[in-house]
Amino acid sequence: MVYFAGIDIGSTAIKIVVIDENEIIKGYKVSGSGSMFYKYAKESFELLLKDIGISSQDVAYITSTGYGRKLFKEADETISEITANAVGARKAGEEFGTIRTIINIGGQDSKAIALDEHGNVVNFAMNDRCAAGTGKFLDVAAAKLEIDVEELGDYHFRSIGTPLSINSTCAVFAESEIIGLLGNEHTKEDIVAGIHFSIAKRIIRLAKRVGLNEVIYFDGGPALNKGLVSAIEDELGRELAIPRYPQITTALGAALLAKEAWEYELKNADAV
Amino acid sequence: MMRKIETNTAVQRKREIEDPQKRHSRHEAMEAVQMLDKLKYDFPHSLESMKYFYDLYERVYCKGEKIHSDKPLVGTLCIQVPYEIIYAMDAVPVRLCNGFHTDEQLGGEFMPTKSCSLVKATLGMLQSRDIPAADKLDIIVHPTTCDQKTKAISIIEDMSYDMYHMEFPRVKESEESREYWRRTVRKFTKDISKELGRKVSRRSLKEAIRKVGRAQMAYHKLNELRRVTPSPILGKDMFLITNAFFFDEIERWTEAVENVYEEVKKRVQSGFNAAGKRSPRILYTGSPPIFPNLKLPVMIEEADGIIVADESCSANRLLNDMVSVDEWFMYDMVDAIADRYLKGCTCPIFTKNEDRKRRLRELIEEYCVDGVVYQSFAGCQVYEMEQRSIMQEMEKINIPMLYVETDYSPGQGGQLSTRVEAFIESLKVRRRKR
Repeated sequence: MVYFAGIDIGSTAIKIVVIDENEIIKGYKVSGSGSMFYKYAKESFELLLKDIGISSQDVAYITSTGYGRKLFKEADETISEITANAVGARKAGEEFGTIRTIINIGGQDSKAIALDEHGNVVNFAMNDRCAAGTGKFLDVAAAKLEIDVEELGDYHFRSIGTPLSINSTCAVFAESEIIGLLGNEHTKEDIVAGIHFSIAKRIIRLAKRVGLNEVIYFDGGPALNKGLVSAIEDELGRELAIPRYPQITTALGAALLAKEAWEYELKNADAV
Repeated sequence: MMRKIETNTAVQRKREIEDPQKRHSRHEAMEAVQMLDKLKYDFPHSLESMKYFYDLYERVYCKGEKIHSDKPLVGTLCIQVPYEIIYAMDAVPVRLCNGFHTDEQLGGEFMPTKSCSLVKATLGMLQSRDIPAADKLDIIVHPTTCDQKTKAISIIEDMSYDMYHMEFPRVKESEESREYWRRTVRKFTKDISKELGRKVSRRSLKEAIRKVGRAQMAYHKLNELRRVTPSPILGKDMFLITNAFFFDEIERWTEAVENVYEEVKKRVQSGFNAAGKRSPRILYTGSPPIFPNLKLPVMIEEADGIIVADESCSANRLLNDMVSVDEWFMYDMVDAIADRYLKGCTCPIFTKNEDRKRRLRELIEEYCVDGVVYQSFAGCQVYEMEQRSIMQEMEKINIPMLYVETDYSPGQGGQLSTRVEAFIESLKVRRRKR
């Protein structure tokens, strides 16, 4: 059996997916990227291979993506996270029908991608530079509120007052806005709900730039946050399509692209 | 014993402190070297004839060489200043539009935070009095083209430079604006010659028109070769060539361009491809890339795209139309020069966007373009606003466009390159299906 690996070295987490020839996920791993992207990615890759019991020789092709994509020297190819995400989303979201609009929130990017009927990227929009409305934004807010990022969802649903409006577009300014709200003795629950609604509004504005289709697919680490998901659904007025493992979609896309590239190389080798 | 060590460190410290002017030049040189090294070594198959330009930039921006010293120097703040008239006075024009992040930070002191990087950098350069290739400026000419430059004039005057204002119309289709601009250019001819104490004669003006015309011709010939598929020359080299026109000695520049043309022509004959096998052909438009801020063009070509055409005032637009004279009389020549500058200009400061759209459509067709990259400096409102109508036009003719907002800061790499790469990847897929 031949395997293919996709490695997504993001700003916050390293995601690795290994698939086999039938595009079945053999194993996956999510770990923090910390300060040494390459070292951690390499260790994490080796650990994953050990866990699923295959040797590195069995991996025919590796594609890397994400901010640290160029650092991973073992990769046969690098691809931008937008292309990788599009390919991964189409596969991960198969059960929802043909995916045409993707919303992805990552550690420091938020993206909206429009696909054609074959799954090719026709248009995309990305936040311009700061961490407004991204996973980082949630991290900063949670730290200030002294709660775990995983708890944000629970806090959201416990909000009984009006969610507070957070207007700052920048993570740093948002932090001072949160401090202001805490100073006025607002509950953490209402603040958390406010943060989720403000991110929801931003991401929908971004998505409108590429056009909203019938099925809106949502992935990336923050898609694990049920509070945020519900806020986006409320703002959109409809349900989102969310895959079972939203965090590893981009890595899955990279793995699928690795398989495609390998097959292409084989075909061309035969021709010679 | 103890004391001796103390004095030693004190002496040593004193020696380490650099003169501010020197520090500024060092920062600039660091920036310039970084970009030059990228252009020289990060791309394969460099052209032999490009060596002239690499050396020129190194001499001017790293070693601080002053190219012009014997003639009066006229600083120009915009592409709309008629070079022919300045040359006819045996003076030298030097374009002051600047691309250094070092200068942008300096200039940020005078301008609002959300203003254009180019204007900030130009102010910073003037403030530091470190003008590339030029020793001293006799006068600075400023056409009232974009708002930020127009409002920056009083700040530049405070730095005690001699300024000359040229009134520029904002609607170009009307006869009134044509006449208005012609009068501006006639007045400019008279005023500047008085200012510099140099006359413009019929003969000198004719010769100047020829001199600039030869430079344009050399550029056009080279530019035409980019229509060929596969494309024989990378866009990063073209930007370097056109940027050198800002400050180089014009005849030497023309000759150097002709040399590049000869070498590139040979490449065309042998079917040479300067890019990759599947590189999409890119049209570059919007805010002008000015050395060393060539980060977006370089990013495009590092991502396996190739810039085959451009529409910006630091490149293609600089050398667009040539002066066309009916009669070689003084008044006729001056009016013909005025027309060249107004009619050929596709700057977004004009009320209507039609002419720029038309030119982009032409370039897309003639240069077989797969996609458009539109850059706007954050704070450059006219480019930011016109983006919308250009995007709609591109949708109409089914050409994908990537719009990016940038500035001169080096810290934008990650997000920007991701977008550029994703755009190029999507163009490749589109192409494969065609």
